[in-house]
Parts: sequence; structure tokens; C-alpha cells
Amino acid sequence: MKPILLPLVLAASASVFWTGCGTPARRIESGGRESITTVGSIDIQDFIAAAEASVNKLLASGALDRVPMPPAILAVSGVRNDTGHQFDTDLLTKKIRVKLNTSGKALTTTTVGLGGHAEDPLAKELGAELPHRPDFTLSGKILETRSKAGKVEQSTFSFQLSLTDNRGLALWEGEEEITKQGSRATVGF
Amino acid sequence: MNVSSANLLFGASLLATCLVFTGCQTSVNTVSREPPAQRQMVTDKRVITYANLGRRVYVIGVAEAPTPGGVLQIQVEVWNRTGSAQRFNYWFEWFDSNGMQVNPTSTAKIPCLLEGGETRLLSSVAPNPLCKDFRVKFMEAKY
Repeated sequence: MKPILLPLVLAASASVFWTGCGTPARRIESGGRESITTVGSIDIQDFIAAAEASVNKLLASGALDRVPMPPAILAVSGVRNDTGHQFDTDLLTKKIRVKLNTSGKALTTTTVGLGGHAEDPLAKELGAELPHRPDFTLSGKILETRSKAGKVEQSTFSFQLSLTDNRGLALWEGEEEITKQGSRATVGF
Repeated sequence: MNVSSANLLFGASLLATCLVFTGCQTSVNTVSREPPAQRQMVTDKRVITYANLGRRVYVIGVAEAPTPGGVLQIQVEVWNRTGSAQRFNYWFEWFDSNGMQVNPTSTAKIPCLLEGGETRLLSSVAPNPLCKDFRVKFMEAKY
């Protein structure tokens, strides 16, 4: 009786122990202090920080106010992902667009897009066309630089943005760099 | 003779200890017209500092001015009054004239590393022209 009971008790206590050690799933604040910070990839808090800093600088520059009929009309050109990771660059551009929209300084057109591709094809089909060219186009690039010293890795992600007016001049340019260092991902920052 | 040797040894040990500890610290010598040490901490209810960080990192001034587009811009000057580097996160919250928070979600927590004795200006621009007030929060960094 005893030899059978012992393994059972051990198995039960081991399962209780392992269940207790695991972290139960829960919802956390996006970009909050409980977020996971990785070294080699762009985390959600990095996109939030890059978008916020870019919009801060763009609003502070006053470039969007230099239009004959405010608010400025903005068309989003391409933001190229030149990092080694696959992600949708809308993670950055949408945040910028939302912030610019709520600022009241710029509105984004969804019927003018790169290569004639409208973001909202139905609106374009229904004839919702702009009476004139957009005041600005927003373009950019996301780059990655990596280095390593022993077990410690470092990644720098550069978010480069340009605001071009309808004369083809870059009226505003911004670059945000986020550098992360460590040997493994951590929870919190 | 023995007493003076002991004194000498004690002095040398003290000096060595001081040198060792100074070597471990990182500090910044700032030259300015008004030394930061003479400034008084500005008591501002809009500045919220978590835990013990407030004793080490002081807010010595808050400046505000409109941008060319009429949006409020804030600069908060902070001073690390210790001799060692202080790591923290900060973020701004914005409020309209009715005291309602504007864009309450997805505020970027910005990491900052202040060397010993360093002062720095932390700035933010209001998300829209309707923002009339702000709050800045400081939180000790975990790593």
C-alpha cells in the first residue's frame, strides 16, 4: 500500500508546486510598467514612445500650421521597415495619425495612397476625392543597429520620419532612437 | 611613534576608501551662473514622485510656454542631488480646462538616467490646443 501511495503524493505535490509557480494570464496596461521588455525586438512601449516623441516634436515645430487652410491635410506615404523583424509599420504610423488627428492640427486622407492604392477604396469609389493635393506627405524608415559584448546585447531602433510639403521639400524631419541593452527579456521597466 | 603610525595608517585607509567609492560613482560637474545647490525645490502639486525617488531627484523648476502653433509646451528641470546615477521613468498627463484628462491611455513612460549632480530639462508638448494643465509623474526604474 505504501509504495503506491508515495509516488501519488509526490506527483500531486509536484503538480501543485508547478501550478503555483506559473504566472496566470491577465490583462495589463499597454505600454505600462508591467510590459515585457525585450532586447532584440521592438516592443509595444517602444512604438508608443517613438510615436509620442515624434508627434511632440512635430507639434512643437509649428510645421503643420504653415498651411493656407488649417487643419493641414496629410497623406501617409510609405514607412519602410528596414529591421530584421517583421511587423506592420502601422503600429507606428497609426499612433502618429491618431495623435495628429486629436491635436486638431492635421487630418489624414484615406483616399490618396502610395501607387494609387487608397486605404479606403469604397470612399474613393464613391467619389470622395480631395479638391486639391494634400498639404503634406509623411514618409519614413525604421532601422536597427545591433551590437554585443559577451552575453550583453544592445539594440538601437531608429524611427526616421519626414514631412514633405507639396513643393517636394522636407519641411520637418524627426528621428527617435530607442536603445535597449541586456542579456534577456524582462518583465517591467 | 606607534600612535603616529597608527594615525598614518588610518588616514591612508580612509583616503583609499574614499578613492574606491569615488571611483564607483558617476557624477557630472555642471557649470552654471547659479549653482543648482542654491536652488530651492519647487513645491508643485502637479509633480508626483513615487517612493524614495523624491529625496534623490528634485524638481527645481517648471516652465511653460506656447509652441508656434499655440499648443502648450512644458519643461521640467530635474536635479540629481546625489553623487550616484539615478534611473527613473517619467510621463506627462494632460488635462483640459474642465480638468478632464485628455488621451488617458497609451502614455509613453520615458526612461531617464541622470548622472550624479546632473540637471536636465524634461519636456513635453500638449496633445492639443485645448489642454490647459498637466501633471508629471516620476517613478523609480526597476532595472
